[in-house]
Amino acid sequence: MPPTYAAYLAERDKTVGRDNAKLKELEKAWKDAIAEADKYVVGNAFGKIIEQNGGEDMNANTSYDETAYHFSLPQNRLELWAYLETERFLHPVLREFYKERNVVIEERRMRTDSNPIGRLIEQFVEAAFTAHPYHRPTVGWMADLNSFSATDAQKFFDKYYVPSNMVVAVAGDVKPAEALPILEKYFGRLPARPQPDEITTTEPPQNAERRVVLKDRAQPLYIEGYHRPDYHSKDDAVFDAITDLLSQGRTSRLYRSLVRDKKIASFSAGFSGMPGTKYPHLFAFYAFPLPGHSTKEVADAIHVEIDKLKKEDISDDELKMIKTRTKANLIRGLADNEGLATQLATYQTRYGDWRELFRSVDRIDQVSKADIRRIANEIFVDTNRTVGVIETSGSGAPGGAEPSSAGPSSGEQAFNGPADQGGAH
Amino acid sequence: MKRTLLLLAFMAPTLFTSLPEAAAQSQSWQQIPIPQLPAFKPQQPKRIQLSNGMVIFLQEDHELPMIDGTARIRGGSVNEPPSKTGLVDIYGEVWRTGGTKTQTGDQLDDFLEVRAAKVETGGSSDSTTISFSCLKGDLDDVFKAFTDVLRNPEFNADKIDIAQKEEDDGISRRNDQVGEIAHRESVRLAYGPDNPYASVPEYSTVAAITRQDLIDWHAKYVHPNNIILGINGDFNSAAMEAKLRAAFDSWPKGPAAPKNDFKYSPARAGYYLVEKDDVNQSTIHMVGLGTTRDNPDYYAIGVFNEAFGGGFSSRLFNDIRTKRGLAYSVGGGIGTNFGHPGILQVSIGTKSQSTVEAIQAANEDIDQLATKPITDDEIQRAKDAILNAFIFRLDSPDKILSERMTYEYYGYPPDWLDKYQAEVKKVTAADVKRVAGKYLHKDQLAVLVVGNTKEFDKPLSSLGSVKKIDIAIPAPPAEKGDTGGKPAADSNPEGKALAAKVAAAMGGLPKLQSIKTMHVNIAESDNGAPPNPVDVSIEFPDRMHVEVETPQGALTIVATPDGAFMSMAGMGTRSMPPAQTKEMLSQLHHDLVYVAQHANDSSFTFTAAGKEKIDNVDADILDIGGAIPWLRWYIDPKTGHILREKYKATGQSGPFDGETNFADWRTNDGLTMPYKHENKQDGKETSNAEFKKIDVNPTLDPKLFEKPAEAAAEKQ
Repeated sequence: MPPTYAAYLAERDKTVGRDNAKLKELEKAWKDAIAEADKYVVGNAFGKIIEQNGGEDMNANTSYDETAYHFSLPQNRLELWAYLETERFLHPVLREFYKERNVVIEERRMRTDSNPIGRLIEQFVEAAFTAHPYHRPTVGWMADLNSFSATDAQKFFDKYYVPSNMVVAVAGDVKPAEALPILEKYFGRLPARPQPDEITTTEPPQNAERRVVLKDRAQPLYIEGYHRPDYHSKDDAVFDAITDLLSQGRTSRLYRSLVRDKKIASFSAGFSGMPGTKYPHLFAFYAFPLPGHSTKEVADAIHVEIDKLKKEDISDDELKMIKTRTKANLIRGLADNEGLATQLATYQTRYGDWRELFRSVDRIDQVSKADIRRIANEIFVDTNRTVGVIETSGSGAPGGAEPSSAGPSSGEQAFNGPADQGGAH
Repeated sequence: MKRTLLLLAFMAPTLFTSLPEAAAQSQSWQQIPIPQLPAFKPQQPKRIQLSNGMVIFLQEDHELPMIDGTARIRGGSVNEPPSKTGLVDIYGEVWRTGGTKTQTGDQLDDFLEVRAAKVETGGSSDSTTISFSCLKGDLDDVFKAFTDVLRNPEFNADKIDIAQKEEDDGISRRNDQVGEIAHRESVRLAYGPDNPYASVPEYSTVAAITRQDLIDWHAKYVHPNNIILGINGDFNSAAMEAKLRAAFDSWPKGPAAPKNDFKYSPARAGYYLVEKDDVNQSTIHMVGLGTTRDNPDYYAIGVFNEAFGGGFSSRLFNDIRTKRGLAYSVGGGIGTNFGHPGILQVSIGTKSQSTVEAIQAANEDIDQLATKPITDDEIQRAKDAILNAFIFRLDSPDKILSERMTYEYYGYPPDWLDKYQAEVKKVTAADVKRVAGKYLHKDQLAVLVVGNTKEFDKPLSSLGSVKKIDIAIPAPPAEKGDTGGKPAADSNPEGKALAAKVAAAMGGLPKLQSIKTMHVNIAESDNGAPPNPVDVSIEFPDRMHVEVETPQGALTIVATPDGAFMSMAGMGTRSMPPAQTKEMLSQLHHDLVYVAQHANDSSFTFTAAGKEKIDNVDADILDIGGAIPWLRWYIDPKTGHILREKYKATGQSGPFDGETNFADWRTNDGLTMPYKHENKQDGKETSNAEFKKIDVNPTLDPKLFEKPAEAAAEKQ
């Protein structure tokens, strides 16, 4: 931070004896300094070059486990890509960092603060993880965003953006014999550095249910998560099979029970990867209750399905369906170049071998009925559970303010009614 | 939609950012060789038109062993009656989930999923679609299912119920996401509230949709001359053509879908505010009416949009995001569509405290278009971006197919996209300046702000006059006594026939109509508790006396048109409120005998509503309404016995969906009745009733229906 700005802040924050004239002077001084500095800045040059060359889907993403930089270019610009991509890892300049930080703060406002599901998920994940860094949102807490510095960013860059920690995938109209020398020429320029240390903290076993209730204007939502091992687990494919069985399409168990037969939810599913997959994480179930139905009802219905997994073998037809679908989904996923590049990079990063993408089918093929029962009994137990609920409240909620005045058909009524108040909130 | 929302929230944020950025080393990138792009001739699909008007496109693509097909059918939600908004959504879902004349939707699900195949239907504003996707070895099976759904949909009533509930769920959640509110309201501002592209379903319009509406829609629109079918994948075109001709050549032509001609009435310029006090970011949409893509200005508009609000290089992005750090998402341009005008829009998401500042910044950027017109440099960059990225519109056979189907659907020339490149190249700075001046006027924009007003930097009114938009969701239509909240459907002949069949199976209409009184002994057990003896005496049409022996003593409930009361031994008598009286009488009017007595009564409606499997029996569904609240029977087609009934009722803890399963049919005294009743509320078992004895036309003491004398001293 420029010293003028620091002086401005110091003056502004004086509780006693603030000199307003001086404050104005300092404000003008730092604004002038910024205006002067701006003259030397060429904004968005990198993005402009890529766009001008026909770049599509240029973006970067950050997740709990990794960050990725990707875009597509016409086939004749492979070398241009290799050059540009390595330049930004060789000679990064974190220019206009604090403005960009403001932009990221806006992103947090959009995705988390101003979005009821974002609000719930942030609290839910935080409650589920106590020791492991998974309890921190990727975008960061507001206070951290406001104090995170360009120096912090540079440190992160220096530690993690090293060749030994990087996987590059290219998919499209390329011949490896021609493309690899180009990649070697440019990416070979990145100086070798040691791989960063792995996180050593382990999430301790959970031995009591945790519960997060968000009283919100929004309509109800139910989610529950159970700690499961990371993707290296030998049972990873068993979780994939359970996800498919419970969630995939109109034959899935959760759809048939909650949406089709009981008619208490508009959607329900279960899946792994919450909030990441590299470390032990959550297998989560969720449902959107229909108007007039409570989160308790959908929770009960989900638990009936979980109990069934524990007590009864799934049928031969179901097992066959899961396996067939896994193969077909793999084939469908190969159709699009960007998706293919992402998958290859992901599997190489995770397993050290991109071929694992294709072996995932074999792993699903080996899943047995007994595996599914074993995992359900081991993982889906109440002491290993974290529950997140949006409970509709506040004057903005239709029918929420005065339960007695709403008509009998008001859906929200039941949500505020006795059925849900009996829950262990 | 909902799934996407949730998954978006789960996904880690995507930092739409250029960080870290390489040092701009004197445009060194220009030293990197860029070879000539190899000649590229996109593979055009083969177009076939059948004599009945159906247009077919075949696009061979042998990369993967899959075949996908989509039929696009004229007529969409813009064509639904405003009083039934949501019809096409529901049609689009139940067309598939509701099954066909020969297979239920559930059977189709099982059949397809085990093959990892799909047959799906959907509805959108301009059209409906039906598509399939399968491994090529499964084509014959899956194509059969596809044509069955296309030609013979059943629109099963239970699936309509599910779709309506989902639609209601969507309505109840529509103000939860700021983005959804901003989108919905800005479309209304741009097109006018009565324009069909701006219409949104309400509880009342969804409740008004009947099975007959879906049948009528299908009959009106699904004709070969309204269909464009595109197939992509690993097949031989000649063989596929033969297969399609065999399936569709003999399908007769039907009436053509009507041409759309709608009025667009953009809102008056000014500020429109939706107050949302649980957010810390304002969503700003500045909107006006755009244009269509057959407009000769379209190419200059494309270049203008890229330069003004398109991407990292655009003016809006560089000013509002990069220079001012005011927004994560910012963009805009003159919107275009194929079939109807797009929306001209500048949109910004900024913290509440910079709401007015961000609007002013966008206004400045618009003003600057006149004082500092888009430069040749900017135009060159925009054209390069469009032309160099052009290849991504054609980089797979299925994309080419889908483009061609779109041109066909909207009547654009087949080579429209080829022309596009040449036209973009011709655009000049003067063209761009002209279209900016022609379409984008700051003082004609309707500026919508969805945000938390008490955190704004300045009141919105400091910019101009502000109109508040009320987004409160209109309550569902009041529970109507005569329909139980269900839309009243007209009787259909199949329905009347089913009612007659049930009456015959119960002993015949003359026998039923001779019944004036009944007395029934029941053993009823709640939730597995030991059974209580229950005595029910009925005098049709509207007197009922129920006596329950409980461990605490006898409980008596009486309902007549004069009122209802309840008395417990030693605790006196309590009158029931009128609503409860009505509820009790309506339950009496759901009595099997009472309804069957009226099988030929024209004040009752009997509507057949498809079939559903009940314990391996393909039961006929009969919806009953009119003079009585809605009731649904599931009838065994072989015996005419009612297997299950469904109804809506209100109990002590509010309204519930009631369901009773019937079994153990016996004949006594010429009347055939189920002696076993299994009751459920909201899907949960609540009680079982075992009928011990049914007396027909016993003499009933009139005192049974009178209030006891001590009623004068009523207790609450």
